[in-house]
Amino acid sequence: MPSLKDLRNRIGSVKSTKKITSAMKMVAAAKLKRAQDNAEKTRPYALKMHEIVESLTSSGVAQVKKFGERNKEKKNILLIICSADRGLCGGFNGSIIKYTKKLSAELSKNSNLSYIFVGKKAYQTLKRKYEASIVEFFTDIANPSIKFELSSSVRDLVLELFLSNKIDECHLIYTEFKSAISQTVKSHKLLPIDNSGEIKKTKTYEFEPSEENVLNEIIPRNIAIQIHSGLLENLASEQGSRMTAMDNATRNANDMIDNLTLLYNRSRQALITSELIEIISGAEAV
Amino acid sequence: MSFNLQIISPDESVFDEEIEMVIIPGTEGDIGVLSNHMPLITSLRLGNIYIYKDKKIIKKFLVNGGILEVFENRCTLLTEDISDSESKVISNDDELSKRKTEIASKQFYT
Repeated sequence: MPSLKDLRNRIGSVKSTKKITSAMKMVAAAKLKRAQDNAEKTRPYALKMHEIVESLTSSGVAQVKKFGERNKEKKNILLIICSADRGLCGGFNGSIIKYTKKLSAELSKNSNLSYIFVGKKAYQTLKRKYEASIVEFFTDIANPSIKFELSSSVRDLVLELFLSNKIDECHLIYTEFKSAISQTVKSHKLLPIDNSGEIKKTKTYEFEPSEENVLNEIIPRNIAIQIHSGLLENLASEQGSRMTAMDNATRNANDMIDNLTLLYNRSRQALITSELIEIISGAEAV
Repeated sequence: MSFNLQIISPDESVFDEEIEMVIIPGTEGDIGVLSNHMPLITSLRLGNIYIYKDKKIIKKFLVNGGILEVFENRCTLLTEDISDSESKVISNDDELSKRKTEIASKQFYT
């Protein structure tokens, strides 16, 4: 049975842990709001870009040879893995790492893999496993918010690799934000551009300079915005996940404090009772 | 006759108003867009955007590359790099910022 002093100390330490977790929860909630706002602001651009690319590739007028499918037996696939820079966000980084491992095991059967890591946590865990095939690693991504320049530099790297035939396919792995308590890891294909879809002539545009030139201009921009919105969504998910994790931690700390306080009061009462019994029986003996 | 012009960057919606005319720097040369322009998609170079209302320039932007889409009296301009022509050019690239400042100071249309 722990002494009264031990119990007091434990209650004290759980209380201070609770203070930290509840503060982290508040901070995460504020950051989540900001991350969501930022993601919201990028949406019109991403939507419009998607619309234009969609109407171009589905109209069939422009064939995207430069960014199109390559027929190879053993493909070189690049995975861009977005994770967080910090921990203490529940299963957020863990599920990204798990997903990456599973996908890698599946893909590596008939293709060569290489990786770009955005965010420190997944990199730290996976760097030993995939050491030879890591192309680049970006950190300090959300300080204070995700800049578009980061996404463009990732895009530049990807395009350079793709156009020099070092890679034939590129996937972005990020966490889709559904709500503060629900996020799922997703993989999204950036390259090659899929133009096998059904051809439907919806809008007829005039192009300047030519369709192919315009398309070659648009596609890199589209890739950059896809990476950017992926990163923004990932950040929102991270904050949401941290908020939930810290909320749970605070609640657990509360439960623990309740239990410990109960135990403390009981043992104090037991001590008083036994002292009384000792005094009474002592008095009787006299 | 007016039409809607929307300028969107990844970070925000820069401009969204009913206007009379816009002149944009296309890669093949400047393009003036009036209302009821035919559907058009074009890419942009580094240059100035002039926005007209009541036959006067109401706004001037400096843009570095982008995409313009005109469809059914709606004009949408997507760009990653846009700034107000009056604001000071901030860039790490000296060569580029020099050219930007030079172009921003020029006034080709009135």
